[in-house]
Order: sequence, then C-alpha cells, then structure tokens
Amino acid sequence: MIRVQNLGKDFRSGRRQVEALDGVSFNVEPGEALAVVGKSGSGKTTLLNCIGGLERPDRGSVASLGVNLHELSRHALSMFQREHLGFVFQFGNLLSYLTVYENIEFPLALNGIPRQERDLRIGALLEKVGLASSARALPGELSGGEVQRISFARAIAHRPQILLADEPTASLDSQTGHDLVQLMLDVLRDQAASLIVATHDPVVTELADSIMHLRDGRIVDEAQTAVL
Amino acid sequence: MNHGALAFWLRIAGLFLLRSRRTTVVLSLMVLLSVAILIFLSSLAVGINDAMVRNSVSLYSGHITGVNLAADLVPAQLEIDGVDAVVKRVENRGLLQQNDRVEPVMLVASDPADEISATALWRKITAGRYPQAGKAEMLLSEHTAERLGLGIGDELQFRHGLESPPVNFRLTGVYRTGIDNLDRGLAFCPPAIVPGDDVRWSAAVFLGDGIEVETVIGHYRERFGDAAQFETWQELMPDLRQLIDLNYVSMSIVTFIVFGLVAVGVSSAFVIFILKNLREYGIVKSMGVTPFEIGLLIGLEVGLMNFVACVGGVALGVVASQVMSTVGIDLTAFTSHNRYFAVSGIVTPRLTLYSLWVPPAVAFIFGLLASIWPAMLVIRGRTAEILRGI
Ligand SMILES: Nc1ncnc2c1ncn2[C@@H]1O[C@H](COP(=O)(O)OP(=O)(O)OP(=O)(O)O)[C@@H](O)[C@H]1O
Ligand SMILES: [Mg+2]
Repeated sequence: MIRVQNLGKDFRSGRRQVEALDGVSFNVEPGEALAVVGKSGSGKTTLLNCIGGLERPDRGSVASLGVNLHELSRHALSMFQREHLGFVFQFGNLLSYLTVYENIEFPLALNGIPRQERDLRIGALLEKVGLASSARALPGELSGGEVQRISFARAIAHRPQILLADEPTASLDSQTGHDLVQLMLDVLRDQAASLIVATHDPVVTELADSIMHLRDGRIVDEAQTAVL
Repeated sequence: MNHGALAFWLRIAGLFLLRSRRTTVVLSLMVLLSVAILIFLSSLAVGINDAMVRNSVSLYSGHITGVNLAADLVPAQLEIDGVDAVVKRVENRGLLQQNDRVEPVMLVASDPADEISATALWRKITAGRYPQAGKAEMLLSEHTAERLGLGIGDELQFRHGLESPPVNFRLTGVYRTGIDNLDRGLAFCPPAIVPGDDVRWSAAVFLGDGIEVETVIGHYRERFGDAAQFETWQELMPDLRQLIDLNYVSMSIVTFIVFGLVAVGVSSAFVIFILKNLREYGIVKSMGVTPFEIGLLIGLEVGLMNFVACVGGVALGVVASQVMSTVGIDLTAFTSHNRYFAVSGIVTPRLTLYSLWVPPAVAFIFGLLASIWPAMLVIRGRTAEILRGI
C-alpha cells in the first residue's frame, strides 16, 4: 500500500524555477494498478522517482508499506528498494555490461535467492516476455522493445510489493504492449502488489484500475482534462 | 558481508571490466607502461650509481680498505660471503731516484696477477706493460715518470730513506687515470723485491654488486676485532659518496615528479572511466545497492584492473631491466671525461626491492584514491539525477 500526501518538488536551474510536483495526494492499495497520465513535462517521472526513493521531495511524504521512505538512512533506503521495489524506466535501463540473463539475475542475487531458484525464475520470466532465446545476449544487441521487456522482467524478478513503471510500452507495438501490461497486471494480482504506471498509452489506461491526471505537477480532475 | 556476496561483487566487477574491453585495455596499458617505465628508470639509476662506485673502487682501493693488517693474517681469511676478491698490498714509503732527480713515492708491492684480475688500473696503462711477478719491474704514473725524466725500459732506484740501501728497478709501464691521488706519487711492483715488505700489509676488498659494505665490515670487526682496521670507500672517497647521495636525492625528486604525473594521469583516467559509466551506477543504485556495496563495487573494479596492470607492469619492468643488465647500456659517450667513470661507461641496471614495489604500490593507491571521488558522487548523488546522466 502506498500513501502519498501533499507531495511537492521544485527544480531550480539557473533563474528558472519549475514546480514539478505540487500538493499531490493519493493512495494505491495492494493489487491495485494506477495509471498516471499527463502531457510531457507534467511531472510523471518526478512523481515515480519520489515514490521510489530516487528523488527527495521538497514537501509532503511518501509512505510505502507503512514506511516513510524519506526518513530512512541511505542504507535502509537501499535495503527497502532492493526488497520491495521494482522499476521499469522510461528508457530501459539495463546494465550494458551484463547479459540479459545476468541483468535479471542481479536483483535476485542481491536478495540472496539461491542459484537454482534464480535459474528457474529467470527461465520462466524470459519465457513470459517471449525472449527465452536471448538469455545470452547483451543489451546492445537488443531492439528497444526487447530492452523494455527485459527491464520489465528484471523489475518483477524478485517479486516486489511495489512496481513503478515509466512509459513501459513506449517502444512497443500495441499487441506486445497489451501483452506486457496484461502480464504486469497478472503479477500484480498474484502478489497483491501495487502498480503505478506513467503512460500516454490508451492500452495501459484501459487496463488500469484507476487513472490520475497530472498537469504542471498538480492532479486535475478527469472531466476537466477530458474537455481539454 | 559474507563470502558469497563478495564473490558476487567480484564477478560483477570482473564482467564490467571484461565487457568494457577497449577502455579496460587502454587504461590497463597506461598503468602497466607507467609501472614498467618507473621500475626500469629506478633500476637504471641504481645501475648508474653502481657503475660510479665500481669504476671508482675498481681502479685501486676496493670497496673496503684494510690497513695495518698483521703479517700472519692471510687474504683468504677476508674472503667471506659477498666478497669477490681480496688483493694483498704492502705499502713502502720512500724515494724514487734517477740520476740526480728524486721523487717521494708510495711503492705498492702486490701480486701482478691479483691486481690485474681484481683491479682495472692495468687498463689505464698508456705505455709499456704491467710488471711481471718475481722481476724487479715497476709501473709508474705518467706524471711521476715525467718528473723523473724516465722512459719505458729505463733504470731507476727505490730507497726507504736516504740512508737505506737502494733497490734497482726497471720501468716497464706508465699509467694515467685522471684521478689526482692515483696519478701522483704511486708506483707498483711485484712482492718480495723490496726487502722488509713482509710485515704489515693492506688489503683491497672487492664486493659483488649490491652487497652492503657495512655488513661485510661488521663481519670483519666481529672476526678480527681491533687487530685490523677497515675503511669503506665512503670514508675514503667522501666526494663520491656525496655525489651518489646527491644522485639519489635528484632521482627521488624525478621519481616523485614522474610518479606525480603518472598518478594524476592514472587518477583522471579512472575518474573519466567511472563518470563515463555513471548512469550504469545509477541503475545499480536504483535496484537497492547500498552505499557500502557501491564503494565496494567501484573499488573492486579499479582494484582488479590495477592489480592485473601492476602485475603486468612489474613483469615488463623486470624483463626490461634484466635484459638491459645482461646487455649493458653503453654511456661512454657521456662519461668518457668523467672521473667517476674512469674505467668503463657501461651501466648495468640493477633491480632493488624498493624499485620493485614502490611503482605498483603508488599506481595502485592512486587508482583507489582516484575512485573515491566518483564513488562519493554516486553514493551521495540523487539517483534520479545520476540516471539522467550529469
Ligand atoms: N533535474 C531537473 N532539473 C530541472 N528541471 C527538471 C528536472 N527534472 C525534471 N525537471 C522539470 O520538471 C518537470 C517535470 O518533469 P518530468 O520528467 O517529471 O516530466 P514527465 O511528465 O515525465 O515528462 P515526459 O512525459 O516527457 O517524460 C519538467 O518541466 C522538467 O523540465
Ligand atoms: Mg517522464
């Protein structure tokens, strides 16, 4: 369960000051999928980063699984992230010097999952995302969509309670995108995890339990956006 | 941190280096070459100092000079570990006389074969030849010969004092070394020609390269006590000692500067190496790798690469020094007018323990130090910022 309260984040670059987030509050229950939509620059990535502990908010709080992330020490935050969080980034962030297999293995090894178990899980995941034959490939040898699918497999490999996905279907065709989102939702339901996904993709918003609209870092109500 | 976790991080670091092949190779080569060059340079510096000492002591004095040795002491007793050769000399102070000319001289009576095999004075003979054993022949410095108006084959006389009976000699050779105290008032003849030369004697002790004079003298003092007096080349040639000390000082300064430059080069290369991959460390961080583990990972990457490069560098440096020391480096063109290279301008680099471990240690430490800043950048930086790629 994720509880976001009155979240605010400013960016200063030179004389320009941007309120990337302002007064954002919402909850996501276990097993729930929330889609965050909004124009480019509306603050979607910033929101996910704050929730995942990759960015420190200027105002408000984020409580995940009852833990206030931004009160944790660096070490404790890392331990929380490795155990409970899974990220799918906007630009599939795989480690370029590790093979597909090794990339997915990374969070499993971090969590001390034994080798045999790792093998089984990675095999099953690669099967699910349809890339079983690419286990030995390096990320540089994959297409954008393949990278995205591997990122997803890596994000869920250690069965996190919270899944954060930033435009996960951006470089996929609609069928593959649909399959991937479906897979995400299956995982979600299986593990009673919470999913927050930032997206422009109607395929994603259709399948999500609820939708939140962001504009200039603020939540706007749907009707208003619909008119716009 | 258990054993398995360390193995995991070691594997990740290894894969990182292996798959960033080009950068790894270039960086390793840089470290490897710097280490090799520094090892070679310091072995060369040691070789030059060796050559100056060898040149200076090999003409006459030896590394250790024993004086006032008892007649019942034999040279073989001085030939302990590390000693290459011992030459027994009896020094007769007296006068050389030719017609009406007289010159004070120190006539050294020693076995010609011993002198020729242990010292290099014979190579400084400018005319004639070395005296032969058992014959009343004499080798004289050019300077003294000129002052007496003597040529090769001429007769001359030696006497301890004006009252003592003269001993007749024939001049068979003259030499010139370019070193004043050897070129003035020194003469050589075979033993048992001058009467009364079997009492007290002096020894010129020659040591192998790299043997510490103090160690040998220590053994001598233990063995012979006050019965014998020994002086080191450092005591006999304070000028050379100072020059060598000066050499070490300037070499240290040079080494320090070279080390400094190499260290800065190596450090910046590592900083660039890590910054280039900063985004990847951001990914790692977002997966919940703790600050300690990030430090460990970066440290292992830098350490592993440095280790391999240093091992290679030491190997290359050792091979280069060994090869050059068997071949010898001929510096005659630069040393022919130098009194400290009176005999030969050939330098043989010599490896010391110091020159073996300092360069790799410095490279290794600077590499690790250089990784601190980027590691702190990753650890303290906001993950989102790092991922964006600063
Ligand atoms: N590090 C930063 N420094 C300065 N401004 C920033 C920084 N990160 C984000 N911003 C600004 O904050 C605002 C929100 O950015 P964010 O990346 O969250 O948008 P987004 O909704 O994810 O956009 P997109 O759909 O294009 O990915 C933008 O105006 C952006 O310029
Ligand atoms: Mg974004």
